[in-house]
Amino acid sequence: MLNVSVWEEKGFYMRVFPFFFLYLQQKSSENIIYHTMKRFILVCFSAFVLTAEAQNPIIRNQFTADPTARVFNGKVYLYPSHDIYPPEGQRQDWFCMEDYHVFSSENLTDWTDHGMIVTQNKVPWVRPTSYSMWAPDCVYRNGKYYFYFPSAPAEGGGFAVGVAVADNPEGPFVPEPQPIKGIFGIDPCVLLASDGNAYIFWGNGRCAKLKENMKELADDNPRETVKFGNREMEMVGVHCLKDLPNRQAEGPFAFEYNGNYYLTYPYVRQNTEVLAYAMSKNPMGPYEYKGLIMAEQPNGCWTNHHSIVNYKGQWYLFYHHNYFSPRDDKRRSACIEKLYFNADGTIQEVKQTMRGVGINKATEKIEIDRYSNASAGVTTGLIDTVNTFRSYQATLPTKGSWFKYDDIDFSMIADGYLVISAKASDNTEFCIREKNEKGKILARIKMNVKPEEPAGGAANAPMGRFRRDMRGQWLTQTASLEYVPKGIADLVITNEGNGALSVDWVQFKNRQLYFTPVDKKAAAATPDERGFIRRWRLMQPQKQEIRSNVIFTDSWLRETFANELAKLSKLKAIWYAMESPTYNMKLFHFAEKYGSQAYGNLFWCETVINCPEEMTDVRLAAGSNGASMWWLNGEEVLLLEGDRRMVVDDGVSKRLTLKKGRNTLRGAVINGPGLSDMCVRFVDEQGKPIKGYTIE
Amino acid sequence: MKRYFFFLLSSLFIGRAAAQVGAPYIHDPSTIAECEGKYYTFGTGGGGIISEDGWSWHSGAERPGGGAAPDVMKIGDRYLFIYGATGGGLGGGHNGRILTMWNRSLDPKSPDFKFTTAIEVAASDGLEDCDAIDPCLLLDPTTGRLWASFGTYFGNIRLIELDPMTGERVRGNQEKDIAIDCEATDLIYRDGWYYLLGTHGTCCDGVNSTYNIVVGRSRSVEGPYVDNVGRDMLNGGGRMVIAAGDRVCGPGHFGRTIIDEGVEIMSCHYEADFDQGGRSVLGLRPLLWKNGWPVAGERFHGGTFAILSERRGYSLEMAVDFVRIQHERQGWWRTNPDEPVKPVADQQLTDVIGTWPQGDIKVRCSDYMMRPHQQWTITPVPEAGGFLGGPYCKIVIRGTDRALAATADLELTAVPAFTGAPEQLWRIEQLTDGCYRLLPKGIPGREGINTRYVLYSAADSTPTLAEWDFSTDNAKWNLKGL
Repeated sequence: MLNVSVWEEKGFYMRVFPFFFLYLQQKSSENIIYHTMKRFILVCFSAFVLTAEAQNPIIRNQFTADPTARVFNGKVYLYPSHDIYPPEGQRQDWFCMEDYHVFSSENLTDWTDHGMIVTQNKVPWVRPTSYSMWAPDCVYRNGKYYFYFPSAPAEGGGFAVGVAVADNPEGPFVPEPQPIKGIFGIDPCVLLASDGNAYIFWGNGRCAKLKENMKELADDNPRETVKFGNREMEMVGVHCLKDLPNRQAEGPFAFEYNGNYYLTYPYVRQNTEVLAYAMSKNPMGPYEYKGLIMAEQPNGCWTNHHSIVNYKGQWYLFYHHNYFSPRDDKRRSACIEKLYFNADGTIQEVKQTMRGVGINKATEKIEIDRYSNASAGVTTGLIDTVNTFRSYQATLPTKGSWFKYDDIDFSMIADGYLVISAKASDNTEFCIREKNEKGKILARIKMNVKPEEPAGGAANAPMGRFRRDMRGQWLTQTASLEYVPKGIADLVITNEGNGALSVDWVQFKNRQLYFTPVDKKAAAATPDERGFIRRWRLMQPQKQEIRSNVIFTDSWLRETFANELAKLSKLKAIWYAMESPTYNMKLFHFAEKYGSQAYGNLFWCETVINCPEEMTDVRLAAGSNGASMWWLNGEEVLLLEGDRRMVVDDGVSKRLTLKKGRNTLRGAVINGPGLSDMCVRFVDEQGKPIKGYTIE
Repeated sequence: MKRYFFFLLSSLFIGRAAAQVGAPYIHDPSTIAECEGKYYTFGTGGGGIISEDGWSWHSGAERPGGGAAPDVMKIGDRYLFIYGATGGGLGGGHNGRILTMWNRSLDPKSPDFKFTTAIEVAASDGLEDCDAIDPCLLLDPTTGRLWASFGTYFGNIRLIELDPMTGERVRGNQEKDIAIDCEATDLIYRDGWYYLLGTHGTCCDGVNSTYNIVVGRSRSVEGPYVDNVGRDMLNGGGRMVIAAGDRVCGPGHFGRTIIDEGVEIMSCHYEADFDQGGRSVLGLRPLLWKNGWPVAGERFHGGTFAILSERRGYSLEMAVDFVRIQHERQGWWRTNPDEPVKPVADQQLTDVIGTWPQGDIKVRCSDYMMRPHQQWTITPVPEAGGFLGGPYCKIVIRGTDRALAATADLELTAVPAFTGAPEQLWRIEQLTDGCYRLLPKGIPGREGINTRYVLYSAADSTPTLAEWDFSTDNAKWNLKGL
């Protein structure tokens, strides 16, 4: 653990690294109060499943500071520092980092955590309880991956820079036993220049050439004697920022583009760090100061630290912000923005956004509250200020307020619905629209969150128990899509009711395919592998007033089915020829789409069994949810009474004969508040399925 | 069939003795959990019930979050809670959330009692064929991996994997459908098989609820779970474990508790206990295993029994003089077929009681001969409390107050009169193989409640007390109802 008082005792280092010392003092003198979270919360969240990330910050289950991004094998690899809450015994208001993780992504939206690659107590030269595993870098050269990282050495003070080597970008990395000789400082960055050499930058902008082995400084590096008070010190390499704006400069990141070398770095312009850059025609300078890449953090977060990478033709700036640690800027999270060059090679200043980069697939869980743009009055905030990894929400305070989220890819959505996590302060409604606040409506959702008196007063009081006050509670809402955008779309959420609305995330899904309409000219079907009849003519569901299935007694069913059967020929109901992709016919979903209500229906179904020969001693086997009755060639053969669930071969008929040629099989399934369903087949005397017929 | 002998004193009690006593009102009880010597189970809607002895229950357990059908499991020194919260379902929909949270204690009065923030591990969106409520936990003893199943009749029962360290969903884990047609499921592992227990039938209709518990099993935790006739639970299969009977109906929400090797109980709720006004109450039943299938044992009401050793089949009896039944002998060689048949009367207590000594009488085992000194009336003793799943009983010679008792030297005696002393109270538990074990509540001269020493066959004829050992028939007894 770094401790300023120790540094003060060691005046030597103070003199050797004046800028670094200033920097430490500045950081430690900040009087930011924060409360340490319970360690178990950290543990609880450390294994959270990341399925999709896109918005800023990009990693939302752990802190990720000083993000160095590199492109290896067509993927972006991210090597950040790993801020943690200091364990007991460590200084609680200081940086604390004990190891490194590596992440990768192919689209900048889905990030995979490959786990820990280097940790402080497995590096021979590192003081194992120093918690000083600061900003790293990783480069690929001569078939190996070289991971550079600063830390506090076990012997002596200050910081040294070590190397760990791997065959793959995810590791395993094997640390060298000793740090690189001649480097005293933090924040290594390695530039593989087009002149064939590798250069390492560190600290406040010092640069030296590396040997071919990437583990030592080259012998032909310039050396300079630097005077610190009465003492003189020989330093390797050159100080590239010597005559440039460099107050408390650190975190150098150098790269080459279009014949120019760029040295980019954070420094303190006024009170906190900005990201600035300088350009040169030579890796080791001299560099000419060009200006800012990113201004001070809007919320006063003292540090910023970055990397710049070109991926699939687009330049990106990776930087950090203390989004998940608002009271304590020592725990930071990586963010990404696009970066653009001017024609003269200078860099356009980058603005921080919540939206970040990347195109979200509509089927991802999208943190839509990290909006691109919003109407006045829209606010964002942490959902849970203690458990900050619960992430952010956006609040639309009044009717007419809206926010917009860019770039969602709908190409994979056909028959879709949306799921959205939202809360409301009172009954309200909102729309999801395309393009702008007046755009085409994808879905409209009503949130009735205020408890109502149950209809019917006291007599229905027990039902009232199931209605709770949902105001201010996060609720998962679903709605079918009235309209599906084509390709990539920008979405707008508009509050169109009177309650304040907060939104967390949104996800689009395709409805499962339950039925395929059968073409009139389709060839005859056969029973499936297990003998189930999947092709039926289904009549438009007949609405029934059934509050509970307890009424399904034998005599009630017989009477009801007889009455309904008598009416059947006079009904002008529509029949649908349908094929089910599963062995069972999910009538509930048929009713959702073709009926007037999902629950409380009578379903009539018919099919024609065409037998090449007469079949004797066969049984009709059926299962249904709920009760059902079955007729073969007009004769009642099976009744399943009561409040049934659909079980394969729940009941079978007596032994029947299927005549040669056409046999008509008819069924009626009736259900109140259940998931209507049926499965039907013919079986032989041993219960084995019969399949030697066709279905017309 | 058993016949029940209701003594005047206990006739009022016996009607209630079968169910858990106190206020065991609960729906969807979680698997029984133990914390600092007390038992806890948590139900739908929040809260739960507590028992000091496992027999008498009272309200007072606390669980925030409401929702349906929780489960609780001790992992390390913490308790992991899992429960389903209806995510809104503003119109009575099916979007649910499965959440987990930890607590270091189950006792609301403990300074350690503090829930962590609940974490969502699964959800249903309301339109898919799943209703993410009614979860349960299984910590696989063979792999250390933690699994949860959840769901209701609305669609599929789903399986997910959790991280036993954090209670979070395992990274990248995909939900797997493992059953339909049931709800309030539970997963257990035993002897190379994984069992999925689901609740079938109709709930929440009081004495007309048809709720019942069915089971399928699999060699893999991920299924397929298949029933005894080869039907996958994804096709509605399931073998009955417990249904209505014995004045309770609608058992649901299975939980398994292992008390000792070979001693298991299942917990559930009955939708209605006819003796408790048709309320939904906690049910605890012996859990038996027959050919690799779980079967609920019967509730033990007491009665009059021959107590037969599993070792030899000999009967537990008082060591008194054998009194011959006097009758005219009719040897087969001189039977006159024309003579009318005269039944031989049973030997009566009054025929022999005068021959018995006054003080303590030793206890031994011998051939069962239907004699009074071999017939034991077992009766729950309400004021003596109970253990997990049952009340303590007294065991007296039928028609007398002469009671079976443990002695300080770990032997047995029959004392002249039942006094209620701990050594005269017996914990009777049905074993997984259908036999019984009998433990005295106390042993004279020893502190505390006895949980080690059971009635044991030292020899064919010599009963004693010895440590419980499921692997030997010496420790097992059969109760043959008279």
